[in-house]
Amino acid sequence: MTAARIARTAAYVALSIYAALSLYPFLWMVSGAFKTREEILDGGHLIPREPTFDTIVTTWNQLAFVDYFRNSLVVTGLTVLGVLVVYSLASYAFAVLRFPGAKTLYWLFVALLFVPGITVLLPVVILENRLGLLGTHMGLVLPFVNGTAPLTVLLLTAAFRGIPRELREAARADGASEARIFLRVYLPLTRPAHITIAVLTAVPTWNEYVLSRVSLNDEALYTLPLGLESLISGTVVRYNEVLAASLIMVLPVIALFAFLQRYFVNGLVGAVKG
Amino acid sequence: MAARWKEWLTGWAFVFPAVALFAVMGVYTIGSGLALSFASWNGFTPEWIWVGLENYADLLWADPSLAPGVRRAAWNTLQVCVAVPLLTVLISLPLAVTLNSVRRLRGLLRSVYFLPYVTTGIATYYAWRYLLEPEGSINLMLRSAGLGSLAQPQGWLANPSTALWTLILILVWSAVPTATLLYLTGLQAIDPSMVEAARIDGAAPRQVLRRIIVPLLTPMTAGIVLLGVRDSLHGFQIFLIMTNGGPGGHTNVLALETYELAFFKGLAPTLGLSSALGWLLFVGAVLLTLANARLLRRVR
Repeated sequence: MTAARIARTAAYVALSIYAALSLYPFLWMVSGAFKTREEILDGGHLIPREPTFDTIVTTWNQLAFVDYFRNSLVVTGLTVLGVLVVYSLASYAFAVLRFPGAKTLYWLFVALLFVPGITVLLPVVILENRLGLLGTHMGLVLPFVNGTAPLTVLLLTAAFRGIPRELREAARADGASEARIFLRVYLPLTRPAHITIAVLTAVPTWNEYVLSRVSLNDEALYTLPLGLESLISGTVVRYNEVLAASLIMVLPVIALFAFLQRYFVNGLVGAVKG
Repeated sequence: MAARWKEWLTGWAFVFPAVALFAVMGVYTIGSGLALSFASWNGFTPEWIWVGLENYADLLWADPSLAPGVRRAAWNTLQVCVAVPLLTVLISLPLAVTLNSVRRLRGLLRSVYFLPYVTTGIATYYAWRYLLEPEGSINLMLRSAGLGSLAQPQGWLANPSTALWTLILILVWSAVPTATLLYLTGLQAIDPSMVEAARIDGAAPRQVLRRIIVPLLTPMTAGIVLLGVRDSLHGFQIFLIMTNGGPGGHTNVLALETYELAFFKGLAPTLGLSSALGWLLFVGAVLLTLANARLLRRVR
């Protein structure tokens, strides 16, 4: 065996080990979801001896998982939509338009990166209580959107700056309005960056637990993380059902990522270069 | 003149939604949060009682029932803030370089490595909890590998001496995906002719890595470390879900303490204290960032 061949084998061994580590909890999630209550207590074998769909079905039925699922979709969907509309417009202005206050506002939004979410959590709850928003889905969406401002503005402004100005001049010479230039020229060219932002917003929102926990009281409005939590808060934890519920929760995110992966990676490359 | 006004108005119109949202959700919350840090309030009485800097003094040294706990949480937080970014870089940099050096399966492996980011959150934390139980798969694996002496009979999260580091490793596990992806994009931006030239001049692969590739990736490392420190300082979801600060405060961090003071002290007037602690966390974030930027500039 040549030295190059040994090096390549060693590389693949190392890469496989980390791949196993990345997959580890996920594999156990799948395994547990297909085990019965008896089998999950009976030792740590990965492949279920008698795989069953019962656990997933019971878990789906016993809690209002359909409702939780729909609530999570609504909250995540509205948050992603809000982030894309609000900060795409603002970032376009920061990157392309010239107006007084542009620079100050841009740096203000970026500086917010340093304000910890926990520092404003309590004031957000107090404010929403006064406005009557506390405990509603809107009461989650608004602070979620606002919370993504720093990174989103940073990435989207960089993406818009990467578009050659000549395109805008040309479109203006043809008599296109600003809105038209934004929608027809700049948005299509920055699609990877927008998809990256959508994924970077959707994943944490789908998994958000802290604000949801302290604000949602009505069980009918619960999102998946709260539904999942109610499975584990009892005295006896049925891990097969917890793992089944976890699997139900992560599968849509995995599907979304698999679907958007190509754009996501390109968007990240563009953002880093910008 | 009219054209100029038109451009200004267009600009303001484009930023209006973002500024309006910030005015409602941001300005008010930051302002009232800062004001509350100088007051005493339990959330139910109509009036705040102004106490000046007392909250800050109580947290840092004056209140014997608070200050020692805060100091311990600060020490835990500091360990997380140093260990998580450092280990993330130490794992993801070689991982990205190795992945970049192979051809077959590269795309598949990249997706697999990204999985922990996509799934991280309460669902994965529960799966880890299950694996770290006394009879969980980690202990069983150690026993069957003949390393039974390393197994934790109480479970990894219930033992005060392993709990914090177990959580740190899980945080690293969730941070490696984005860092690896960022390094990969950085590696692809490196001009291959530069590496080729060094090789022709007789540089060994290890030298190429140390003298050319790692220095070129320094801006990427800076970004990864900065975001890692920020996330470690701000994030506490994993601590809340997996241990809630236990056993006996051994995994308590400052953000979790802030959360407890804000929402779980009943009628006790701790809301001002919580706000003050939150702002101390903000100051900490700024200081750590400045220190980091300095350190990285010197390395470069």
